[in-house]
Amino acid sequence: MSQTLVIAPLLVALFTAILTLLTRSNDLLTRTVSWLGGLAYVAAVAALFDRIVLPLGSESATVAYQVSNWRAPFGIVLVADALSVFMLGLAAAVSLAALSFAVLYVDSYGQRLTFHPLYHFMMLGVTGSFLTGDLFNLFVWFEVMLMSSYILVLFYGGPKHTRAALNYVVLNLIGSAVMLVAIGGLYSTTGTLNMADLARRLLDPGAYGVDVVPVLGLAGVLFAVFALKAGIFPFQFWVPAAYEAAPAPVTAVLSGVVKKVGVYAIVRLYFTVFAAATLPTSLSLPGLSGTSPLAFFGPVLFLMATASIVVGGVGAVGRENLDTLLAHSSISQVGFIALPLAVAATAPTESLRLLGVVAALVYAFNHGLAKGLLFLVSGTVFSAFGSIEFDDLGGVASRAPLLAASFLVGALALVGVPPLSGFFGKLLVFDVTARATATGAAGAAAALAVALVGAVLTIAYYTRAWNVVFWGERSGVVERALPDRWTVAGDGGVATDGGPVRRLSLTGEMVVVVALAVAVVGFGVGFEGLYVAAESAARAALDTGTYVNAVAPAEVSG
Amino acid sequence: MTEFLLASVLAVLFGLGTFLVLRRDVVRVVWGITIISQSANVYLITMGGVGPGDVAPVVAHGGDPASVTDPLVQALVLTAIVIGFGTSALALVLTYRVYEEHGTIDVYDLGGGQ
Repeated sequence: MSQTLVIAPLLVALFTAILTLLTRSNDLLTRTVSWLGGLAYVAAVAALFDRIVLPLGSESATVAYQVSNWRAPFGIVLVADALSVFMLGLAAAVSLAALSFAVLYVDSYGQRLTFHPLYHFMMLGVTGSFLTGDLFNLFVWFEVMLMSSYILVLFYGGPKHTRAALNYVVLNLIGSAVMLVAIGGLYSTTGTLNMADLARRLLDPGAYGVDVVPVLGLAGVLFAVFALKAGIFPFQFWVPAAYEAAPAPVTAVLSGVVKKVGVYAIVRLYFTVFAAATLPTSLSLPGLSGTSPLAFFGPVLFLMATASIVVGGVGAVGRENLDTLLAHSSISQVGFIALPLAVAATAPTESLRLLGVVAALVYAFNHGLAKGLLFLVSGTVFSAFGSIEFDDLGGVASRAPLLAASFLVGALALVGVPPLSGFFGKLLVFDVTARATATGAAGAAAALAVALVGAVLTIAYYTRAWNVVFWGERSGVVERALPDRWTVAGDGGVATDGGPVRRLSLTGEMVVVVALAVAVVGFGVGFEGLYVAAESAARAALDTGTYVNAVAPAEVSG
Repeated sequence: MTEFLLASVLAVLFGLGTFLVLRRDVVRVVWGITIISQSANVYLITMGGVGPGDVAPVVAHGGDPASVTDPLVQALVLTAIVIGFGTSALALVLTYRVYEEHGTIDVYDLGGGQ
């Protein structure tokens, strides 16, 4: 029974997607089914969380479900461990909030057309990526997720959206081809695609006749693909246009969850699987050497992370539009997630490595919630005032104080002000980097300085957004829009579907935004629980042996 | 010999695909991607082994089970072809939509997407 539970979130997402396709004729029914499906998804993830991680602090379980009882490495295998379930928890939280928001926000034509099936297929792809125990299945789940996200980016079909989608589609198709090449190479080198089997073979390459040196290069090719998905420098350039084009709730999921799939894949494959390999001591590249593949990836990730922090931060400062500012901020924040991972990869001690992964996971969780919140605030601003351009906005706080307060909570969480969850995320990132500096790791002091600059930049661009949009004199747009949009239905305002905005849907959007803001505060105040969950997730990520034993791939001769 | 031939074909295909992706015309970019993903498929097939003794994994047609090539890569390629078919169709439709919205499919005229 507990093994079957592993597949539950997948099935829920799949059936919801199909049901929303079947009920397309009735608008209200589609929305209801879709929302209930989102709720059921949260319930399925909660049940899995309860099975794997709870009670907090005790040894977390690792459960593998072999589909149709075909044993790994031959069959399809789904693995739920603390790391997968931690990421699923983030996905479920952000997804339910975004879905509740979308039901009210997306125009009724779009909802009738394709929105709900696409949304749930996207969540299906995300869930599959988190749960799969097979490299090629990871590719397939990526494609499921990307195919839906292509069309969601393209959703409004205007000039801006087609242009952004073109970049997004072309880049990701090239990424997929590169991923196939890496997977093919890994298969021919190691003779398996099952992650647990791969780890087992890399642990004992002699017994299986595996040459580990090519694995390093192929893992590097794969790494570029994951960095593209996560939007880490130098693969970040698709991010702003795509995030600006997609509808606000979709952007919240793209930034809060889909990006984290890339981060998850890096943690899972490099820390659980490839870390098992021991390279010959004779192998060294210019500036890089060591016997673990992580020793080679650490410095590269280091450079990519610090460059992301700076490029994203500097890019965000000068933006004139709320969504593009948030998108550039996303690039910078992913740098903050990658930085502790880089430290963890090069860490000399086990405890520092664990702490690095914990810091990355906590930061990823915080960023998912807070950035999701901010994108939904941006969507609400658009619903209420019909624009998110800085030129049009001003003085929003004086007429929509709750909205302004929610923005402030999200922004402060990313800046890192206690008692919000972001404070602990940032604290851990700086703590890990400082510890690395103390052990004398090369470049750690520079990384610390860059992180500090990044933190200051974060303060700068959010302060600017706050000053321009929420404070100051009310702009003409805000003044004109308010009486119509915040009272009973008026005829002056124009919503995304061209009709007047109903008070009900604006109120509903506000409820979602405020609920998410409360969650951000809640995870900060009750941070202990989040930390313990992240720690067991990090332990699971670093514990290759338990992962292999849980899957227990059959021995293959030849 | 087969290995060498396939390796050369792959090199040409990947090179051609990359060349097309770097063109200004969006349709050529889409064809470039299609060629790159197809060459990734050919590459996958070669990973299953194309030695002189290897025969196609169809036992009923007289192949000796001991000398067949790895059938797994062929299953992978089938999956990849189906996915590639869908994405290529989407990319072509998208190209048409881009033309409708912008009146051009020249990447330089389309601008930076902002």
